[in-house]
Amino acid sequence: MRKAYGRQVALHDVTLRVEPGEVFGFLGPNGAGKTTAVKILTGLVHASAGQARVLGRPAGEPAARRRIGYLPEHFRFQEWATGTALLDFHGRLAGLPAGQRPARIAEVLELVGLAGRGGQRIRTYSKGMTQRIGLAQALLGRPELVLLDEPTSALDPVGRREVRDLIRWLREQGVTVFLNSHLLSEIELVCDRVAIIDRGRVVRGGRLADLVGSATALRVAVDRVDEPLLAALGRYGRVESVDGGNLTLLVDDVDVAPAVADCAVRAGYRLFELVPVQRSLEEVFLGLVHGGDR
Amino acid sequence: MTATLVVARWTVTEAVSRRLVLAAILLSAAFVGVFGLAFSILYGRAEAETGGDANFPVFAATLLTVLGLYAVQFLAAFLALLLSTSAISGEVESGTLHAVLARPLGRGQYLLGRWIASVALVSAYVVAMAGSLVLIARVVAGYQPVGPVKAVALLVLETVLLLTAGLLGSSFLPTLANAVVLFSLFGLAWLGGIVEFIGQTFSNQTLANLGVVVSLVFPSDAIWRAASYYLQPPLFLGEAVTRGGIPFAALTPPTTALLLWVLAYPVATLLAALRTFARRDL
Repeated sequence: MRKAYGRQVALHDVTLRVEPGEVFGFLGPNGAGKTTAVKILTGLVHASAGQARVLGRPAGEPAARRRIGYLPEHFRFQEWATGTALLDFHGRLAGLPAGQRPARIAEVLELVGLAGRGGQRIRTYSKGMTQRIGLAQALLGRPELVLLDEPTSALDPVGRREVRDLIRWLREQGVTVFLNSHLLSEIELVCDRVAIIDRGRVVRGGRLADLVGSATALRVAVDRVDEPLLAALGRYGRVESVDGGNLTLLVDDVDVAPAVADCAVRAGYRLFELVPVQRSLEEVFLGLVHGGDR
Repeated sequence: MTATLVVARWTVTEAVSRRLVLAAILLSAAFVGVFGLAFSILYGRAEAETGGDANFPVFAATLLTVLGLYAVQFLAAFLALLLSTSAISGEVESGTLHAVLARPLGRGQYLLGRWIASVALVSAYVVAMAGSLVLIARVVAGYQPVGPVKAVALLVLETVLLLTAGLLGSSFLPTLANAVVLFSLFGLAWLGGIVEFIGQTFSNQTLANLGVVVSLVFPSDAIWRAASYYLQPPLFLGEAVTRGGIPFAALTPPTTALLLWVLAYPVATLLAALRTFARRDL
């Protein structure tokens, strides 16, 4: 998909595939285009080029939205309404039969930790409660696909934990989850696959385990770092940073460590340290993206 | 269709919940009460002091009724504009619309739902207010206008035109900009009506034509004039040809061409709103 607002291009080229039943993390700095992408999927924004299909139907068709639940980024709801009235309205729009609505509303309120608070007006809700009512609204229609745009931004650590558990529970129920987030820990803890988006382009995607696993590095400490050494090490990987006698060598596989040691010693360098380091998602992320909208 | 009605019901619930309906009912009751009292007192005096003119009480009743309905027309117009200018833009600006439109309903269904609810609310207001005033005049003075039902129907049409235009603006303009545009158009149409009246009175064709053009561009005042004709009794209309009429009321019935134009206008506006809103990125 591609989306341009006049001359401003929000999405250059985003090509994604989300498999049924997986928890998919869409990761990127603020302003990278995450929300625009989700809005195209929910039909709120029209793509300038390309197309998106949701549950087998072109995104934007009302029928494509029948089996999805969506929590918008700013989770603002009609403040004059009570939580229950809001859910009743959404239940009607989602096509929940009248007979099932009250029970289902009570069920989702319980699920998001708002049991007994449905009678209150949303005006009186805290930010965290509003985000929870938004989650309840997203889950109300028993969706097959749930799109969550920054679902924990207003929640405290306990609330975040609860939402993670909720996402895991959804996966157990066979629900596909599309999670927009800039919170790496959140993505790392619940997602099966991720795509990293930066300035409107997907810069990396794949299984979380592969993404983190593939990016391994060796921390090397030697008596001196010079051109011949860098050239020699370049055969094993990419030298990322040099700090005095310390350098970080990005490698595909940590198994090259003995060969690296041999190479350095044979060339006459004194090797003090050679440590394989597993790179965290954060390091992978920061290595890939620019500064965001700052 | 069901989704449209769900949205319409939600819109009415909102109006009730935000005490808009309660406020309107209380203030309208006060307005009708004051009108009833003033009408009784003034008509009583007109009957007591006719100044030798047997028709004077009828003329007084006409002036009072038309004035009262003129005020109702303004109140209804403001209500229609206030309800509609933020109907969609307000929800877009506050971000409450996103979750709603991600539901399996079309943009058109949403817009129509809001339109139907607003039309129902404003029409109820116009019928209640205008009906009460005409009824008071009939009970107190035995007032018999040419076509009270036609007059009220045209007043409803005027508010429908205004709120449809407000909804069209609301589908692509920010609330404040839309309100400025709509109130300006309403004011311009009013001015156009006055210009047309002056042009006719002083037989100045240029002024009259200018008024007509403005009336065609935004026919809110033209509809009021059409309604005003039906609000006056035959006796007053007959005498007014020589005596002169009320500046903001028409002495001749609306032409068929005008009626077709003012009926087509809201329909075209609604279609334009549906089209604009369907294309919009939110």
